[in-house]
Amino acid sequence: MKAKILLCICASLVCTTLALAGDPGSAREGSSRSITLPAPVDDLADGPGKDTTGIYCGICHSLDYITTQPKFPRARWRAAVAKMIKTYGAPISETNAEIIVDYITTYYGAGG
Amino acid sequence: MKPQEISRRDFIKAVGITTALAATGTLPPVLYASERRLVTYPEKGELLLLTSSPPQLETPLKYFRELVTPNEALFVRWHLSNIPTSVDLDSWRLAIHGNVGKPLSLSLDDLKKFDKVGFTAVIQCAGNGRSFFEPPIFGGQWLNGAMGNVTWGGVRLRDILKSAGIKSGSTEVVFKGLDKPAMPTVPGFLKSLPLDKALEDDIIIAYEMNGRELPMLNGFPVRLVVPGWYATYWVKSLSDIEVAVKPTENFWMKTAYRIPDDPCGCVEPGTAAKKTIPITRMTTRSLLINPEDGTRIKSGQPTELMGVAFSGGYGIREVLISVDGGRNWSPARLGRDLGRYSWIQWFYPWQPAKPGSYQVMARATNSIGESQPLDGLWNPSGYLLNKIEKYNLIVTQEGRS
Repeated sequence: MKAKILLCICASLVCTTLALAGDPGSAREGSSRSITLPAPVDDLADGPGKDTTGIYCGICHSLDYITTQPKFPRARWRAAVAKMIKTYGAPISETNAEIIVDYITTYYGAGG
Repeated sequence: MKPQEISRRDFIKAVGITTALAATGTLPPVLYASERRLVTYPEKGELLLLTSSPPQLETPLKYFRELVTPNEALFVRWHLSNIPTSVDLDSWRLAIHGNVGKPLSLSLDDLKKFDKVGFTAVIQCAGNGRSFFEPPIFGGQWLNGAMGNVTWGGVRLRDILKSAGIKSGSTEVVFKGLDKPAMPTVPGFLKSLPLDKALEDDIIIAYEMNGRELPMLNGFPVRLVVPGWYATYWVKSLSDIEVAVKPTENFWMKTAYRIPDDPCGCVEPGTAAKKTIPITRMTTRSLLINPEDGTRIKSGQPTELMGVAFSGGYGIREVLISVDGGRNWSPARLGRDLGRYSWIQWFYPWQPAKPGSYQVMARATNSIGESQPLDGLWNPSGYLLNKIEKYNLIVTQEGRS
């Protein structure tokens, strides 16, 4: 009995280890398969407008969608924010849109 | 350009992405386009992180030394943030409905009862290489890793559609997946194919990549495969097929993924297109894979340049190589031919006698004469990139590095 329990513990340990070594983000149970995604990248540079930008832009996408763009001028970022509102229905007021455009242009754009 | 202002493009061009990564040391929390880091997502190997949600991951070039791209290495690109992370095959069904005689709801086992077909085909994001456009273009700043060459296995779309019975008056077929928008106001992702295209021999619903199940991030349990056409049509986690009478007006067909309506698909750099059409077939490309851009090699030593070439479904007839910045061109030897949708590997023996910087270029031509322009063509969305790539290899004196 003891040996059997020990074997079970060992077997489950081996299984756990194998699962971890194989792919910790992937699981299977019967006919079901699932994955666990890593946390999205949500870091922005400190500065006025950071929180507003993070909250609204982060509704639909991680913030690396902003930080990986080339350094575009203000007009280009204004057009991008307008597209988010018009095409995708982002609930961003005019005031907040300006805060977001200011922030992105300053920290991730071509300034000015 | 002022001497002190070295742009990220020049930086990547000058030292290569790997060196650029190494030079930055510990990466800051905020990542710029030139500072890609390697990440490991579920069921995937180490890929370059472009964005984390919706995930966009690209394949490091070293994986393309293999003729067929491993499942773990294939790039990942989703449009909407609610992507499928769990699928239960007991309840999963593929719906076929719309202007059909008999709507179907197929389990994966039902699907597998149809004839199995397969082939190797290049899958490439429409925006692959967008980061190399000048002037720069808004959107995913892909290097050249949003592509791969995979052996797909599945069933013909045509067989499924015929089984449902296409009724007269049908004009196109609309495809949707399990991915959902973050908000109801965001247009749900879909793509459509004209009915004629949908009925072609080689459009398949794939349930296998390289003989195995699809990784969840590449569209488990099934995805559409439209060989020769850009990956935007290869709808992942396909769950809904609708035979339609009228063309779809959805954002993803009507506004996104369109190119200038011109034979070159291009406009004057920095300008808008007067009229656009949906992007479809891939342009012809060739890339140097090994040694990578910026590599140092010793003079007098025999080496072999290796790369890949592909086109939108017409095979590759010839790849010409220049090691002197385009003055002289010689044909490369082509590797094993896996069919017109696959890429082909090319090999070029080279033994540089003198030290110096050598500009290597590769130019492919497909079986219907389509080739690559010397200078890049520009379009507002950064699609179709296929200019002749320029690589610098540094030859050092024998015995020194």
